[in-house]
Amino acid sequence: MPKRNDLEQKALHFVVKTGYEGVLQSELWRELGASSREGSRIALKLEEKGLIRRDKELQGGRWTYRLFPKRLPASIESIADCPCLLCQDNARCDPTTTISPKSCAKLTDWILSLDRGAPVPSGDGYFAQGLDPR
Amino acid sequence: MLSTVDDATLMKVATALGEEDAVKLIESLKNSEETTDDEIANKTGIRLNSVRKILYKLYDHSLVSLRRTRDPKTGWFIFHWKLQPDQLEGFILSQKRRVLEKLSVRLEYEKKHDFYYCNTPGCKRIPFEEAVELVFTCSTCGKPLVHYANERIVQQLAAKVEQLRKELGE
Repeated sequence: MPKRNDLEQKALHFVVKTGYEGVLQSELWRELGASSREGSRIALKLEEKGLIRRDKELQGGRWTYRLFPKRLPASIESIADCPCLLCQDNARCDPTTTISPKSCAKLTDWILSLDRGAPVPSGDGYFAQGLDPR
Repeated sequence: MLSTVDDATLMKVATALGEEDAVKLIESLKNSEETTDDEIANKTGIRLNSVRKILYKLYDHSLVSLRRTRDPKTGWFIFHWKLQPDQLEGFILSQKRRVLEKLSVRLEYEKKHDFYYCNTPGCKRIPFEEAVELVFTCSTCGKPLVHYANERIVQQLAAKVEQLRKELGE
């Protein structure tokens, strides 16, 4: 028998995957191959931990719960190619100093690359060209 | 610890941290409970100094934890590393907050200023106030400065700021 925590982790992943639509509690335990008793206990546990939300719902004449994730999984995609993520000058980057997000050429190039949907050129971009990387 | 972050995200973070080898290293860390830098180097074939470099980088962001013991024979320290996947979400969120802060500053600045530019790649855009002092001549290449429409920058920035705010639930 899988460890209880494994099952909880699996259940959480399953609920999170369903996103805003949520999933019926009965579908959850069927998917996990658990019994309805285990299923409802897991759902309760996850709710207790503040990881999911349970909404009462009438389904085929029976009351059941629809489970929604409270938070969607964190993804790094939106900033994965942002130059700030790994910038060596991060410690010195401040709006009041010479190295500043206001004038950073690397940042300008990144912003301009956003609507092209293209990744930032790996070398120096248009504004960062020929600049000392520091 | 229950986490909503899956392995794919972990790998993306590794890639985003800039090191190709980081992906291999994390893969190897993931498969073992606790391991030393030597073992990782042997298993993955990455050079020992790069292994340490990447580990320290990950340690900076608390993505790995560290235990130190002394080798009874040589008296040297042995470092035992362990992946901390539960820190990943926090790492992503804090990075997003940091980027968001920078982008917000930039957006404000772009909105409040008019820019002049000589159209030479590598030269800087210059805000109106400074351009006046330079009599509208680029101090780097000497070409005349003309008005630079920054609508596209503002638009893209605003969209990104909005997206990050939403993702952070602010």
